[in-house]
Amino acid sequence: MAKERAKMPVVNMTVDRLKKIVPRVKLDKALDILPFVALDIEGVENNVIRIEYNPNRPDFSSDYGIARALRGLLGIEIGLPKFRIAGKSGLEVKVDPAVKKIRPHIVALTARNRKLDDKTITQLIAMQEDLHNGIGRRRKKASIGIHNLDAMRFPISYTTAGGDYSFVPLGESREQSIYTILKESDIGKQYNHILSGLDRYPIIADNDRTVVSFPPIINGCATKIDGTCRNLFVEVTATDKKAAEDILAIIAITLYDAGFEIRTVTIDSDKKFETPHVKPSMISADIGYINSVLGLTLKPKQAVKCLKKSRLDARASGRKIICTIPRYRTDISHAIDIAEEVAIGYGIFNLQPTFPSAPTAGQKNLLSISFDAIRAALTGLGMLETLSFSLTSKEVQYGAFGISNKDMLSVDGSKSIEHEILRDSLVPSLLQSLSRNVHEEYPQRLFEIGKTFRKADMIAESWNIGGAVAHAEAGYTEIRSTIQALLKSCWGKDVSTSATTNAMFMEGRRAEIVVDGRKVGLIGEITPLALESFKLRVPVAAFEIDLSGIIKDK
Amino acid sequence: MNNVSTLHPIERSILRVLANNDAISIEILAKMTNLEVDQVRRGVEWLKFKKLISINESSNSRVFLSLEGSTTRISGLPERRLVNAVREGKNTIREILAWGAIRNEETNAAIAGAKRNQWIQFEEGKMIATALAENKSQEEVFLDKLDSNGIDITKLNDEEKKVFEQLKRRPNYLEVRVHNEYRISLTKVGEKLLPIHEKEGSQERRLTSELITSGRWKEVQFSALDIEAPAPTVYPGRRHPLVDIVEEVKEIFVGLGFSEIEGPILQSAFWNFDALFTPQDHPAREMQDTFYISGQRQAIPATVDQKRKVAQVHKKWSSNRWDAKEAERVVLRTHTTPVTLLHLASVKPDNGRFFSVGRVFRNEKMSYKHLAEFHQVEGVATMPRASLRDLMGLQIEFYAKMGIKKIKFWPTFFPYTEPSLQSMVYNEKLEKWVELFGMGIFRPEVTEPLGIKNPVLAWGGGLERIAMIRFGLDDIRELYGNRLTWLRSVPKCQL
Repeated sequence: MAKERAKMPVVNMTVDRLKKIVPRVKLDKALDILPFVALDIEGVENNVIRIEYNPNRPDFSSDYGIARALRGLLGIEIGLPKFRIAGKSGLEVKVDPAVKKIRPHIVALTARNRKLDDKTITQLIAMQEDLHNGIGRRRKKASIGIHNLDAMRFPISYTTAGGDYSFVPLGESREQSIYTILKESDIGKQYNHILSGLDRYPIIADNDRTVVSFPPIINGCATKIDGTCRNLFVEVTATDKKAAEDILAIIAITLYDAGFEIRTVTIDSDKKFETPHVKPSMISADIGYINSVLGLTLKPKQAVKCLKKSRLDARASGRKIICTIPRYRTDISHAIDIAEEVAIGYGIFNLQPTFPSAPTAGQKNLLSISFDAIRAALTGLGMLETLSFSLTSKEVQYGAFGISNKDMLSVDGSKSIEHEILRDSLVPSLLQSLSRNVHEEYPQRLFEIGKTFRKADMIAESWNIGGAVAHAEAGYTEIRSTIQALLKSCWGKDVSTSATTNAMFMEGRRAEIVVDGRKVGLIGEITPLALESFKLRVPVAAFEIDLSGIIKDK
Repeated sequence: MNNVSTLHPIERSILRVLANNDAISIEILAKMTNLEVDQVRRGVEWLKFKKLISINESSNSRVFLSLEGSTTRISGLPERRLVNAVREGKNTIREILAWGAIRNEETNAAIAGAKRNQWIQFEEGKMIATALAENKSQEEVFLDKLDSNGIDITKLNDEEKKVFEQLKRRPNYLEVRVHNEYRISLTKVGEKLLPIHEKEGSQERRLTSELITSGRWKEVQFSALDIEAPAPTVYPGRRHPLVDIVEEVKEIFVGLGFSEIEGPILQSAFWNFDALFTPQDHPAREMQDTFYISGQRQAIPATVDQKRKVAQVHKKWSSNRWDAKEAERVVLRTHTTPVTLLHLASVKPDNGRFFSVGRVFRNEKMSYKHLAEFHQVEGVATMPRASLRDLMGLQIEFYAKMGIKKIKFWPTFFPYTEPSLQSMVYNEKLEKWVELFGMGIFRPEVTEPLGIKNPVLAWGGGLERIAMIRFGLDDIRELYGNRLTWLRSVPKCQL
């Protein structure tokens, strides 16, 4: 359950803004409380707080969203956040059926009567970016266009155009064809894979045939927003209707919080409908269930209060809690989510840990216990345990020995050439370790217990033990003594060896390890070719056994 | 006053060698006297105190191969890998990248290097290898020359200096360390004491088996040994320090009533993601984050009923979209949770506690704080009415046994748990709160399709971070670097 920290989205909030959101709360206290609404402070620098939020809360993609949650938990404002749609805008988007095969869905709204200052523009652009990457799945599933409403002539149409169709894209002064934009502009190159293989492209154009947007790539220049705008038009196009609606609901509440008047837009598709849909949903949860999940004994009234602090609305009806979920809370779908909202409203810091007594005694599994015995035997023989990666390079695994292998298991798109294939033997890893220690005192005796991987009829993995000894006198006899001692000490088995041909080892000094008539591993002196590849200057002898050949019915 | 008879045998040996050899190092003295380096060091100290010898101290910077440099020397510099690929018939960068010879970010260095060495030429936008590609570049020659003793930087000739500077600009290949050297000479006073003749005695140096069994030991006298001199260093065989921590964690789990489970590293995407309610278009499932095995699919190892129910859950939330083909892909598990889940789905315990410690994989570029492959610890407890407070209690107990007392919990998010928390623990050494394990209760979307009845409390996280704190490491790669200096020297006892 480890998180991919580097990929968490971030919102920047100034200290002043935070102070305004939670007046009369000391800055330290406000910063301390942020994590308890699931927001991590990544850093504070030059009066700007970098706040990480979890991808399940896209409504946190602007500081308005953070303000809603924070004010709730601190009790400054509770219950459903104020939100109201002023009515219909009377404006219409005509949807050409031709978009159905490309990017079928569009939803839109208008936001009026507030001057768009630079701070708000910065916020909107950051929010748009996060929504594109999150719900929008890097614009593939959904993308957003924010436009200057006053520059558009309605009704507008969502239609398609050919690749040589030209318009002036945002940030340019001259017309460019769709092909040019896709092939030559930075933004086009970044996202053209979404539209690959198409001969018609999605276009939003207004009644004067001025291009408003070429989704999901770029807006038209004509409807560009700047600090003089008072009225906005926001459209979301998508391959998935729910994603489009989720995004528009979040934008609606954000623009409302920013002081705009929100009105609906008519979408004229197979049938006519108004967007955004902002009707809250209802989910009910039994108080007994909530208490059981959290380990609390809350009364229905107390749970309702907690939910209101989480900015939901709720009422109790007997033992049932009926909860109203605003449309922008796309993360709540089940009674269990209600339980979590209660926990957050209750304050995680107020939850007292309890220790449940154990039903039975615990134990390590038998494999683990065998490994302990193997380690004890090998360390007793003076060997030092190493750990190396299962993923390795072709060069280390095969090239260094002059072996070519066609049956290797490789991974797609590794970020490093050192981790491109799964190892099928531990011996190369051991040699690599020796190679890193040529300046250390000899003798060097190393072992590793690790998984190896093979492509047979199916993919197979097995636990192996490998060992290597390196020093001026190292040779077959010493390593055979070692493997004899290991098998005798761990399993009471005698070893026999028979000639083999594995190219890691020198001819005449290599053998298969045979136990109870089964071939369980290899042993021998490493070839001088390999020693040279690994820049080793002393002889090395090594063994490797596959545990599945020895431990039956693990 | 000094006179020969008061000198220790070690001192006498040293003086005898110095009579014919001026300004030699301790290591050479050790060889010539047949003494251990530590004995010589001690003798040199005594002699210096007696003003019989002088020590000339000098330091020089030496260049060594770094850990990554030693790997690179085996796999080849980017330009070498590039030109090898060109010789294999890959003529464009796109092909070479696709072939995996070089990484994206190595492209510039590879082309620049190959051009500088005149290994490649461009013809009509395609690369072809020249005859010079057979030759080793100066940089390769330089890397080959570096051995365990390193090279004194001041002794590099102009040509080598240039190559050294070039290589230094390329990150990670080289390491420069300052090397102190001591050279020992006789002083005037020391010279006056010479020559030294060893007093021949009738004393026995060794108590032999023959002396014991024949009873001759009663007649002879034994020479006194230098009982203060240190003995040669020997290195015991040891467990890997990270394995120590694994074992410690296992003991704690067992003590808390948990039983160990173990399972495959190669998993179907079905158990790694789908069964854990991770949507098929979730970013974590992309190749940039997850290692998929090239060209491998496997029939989903689940019952028809399990597959149908998991598919239903996804279809409900992803506009009716769920592709069995996507679930058949083979991944290097990104967490141990699929192992846990498979166990729960097959055993269906009403009341049970399980744990696992195993390797997990993320497609990351390795750095001082990230690995592509690391250990994950995971514990689960299932019982009737298991609660979030119980989960917190188990954490507190677990951490307390690891010596961690200051803990707090923050809400967080995982696709397959709800509620979810992350634990923050106070690190006394770093004097700050650090994030450790994530935890939560498995969502009904996870448990219901598999017929798991009671709530499942789960927690887990990376083990290497705990190891770094314990061993005071600031580079996570040290744990897998297998540097013998480190492996041989980490103290094993905590008390």
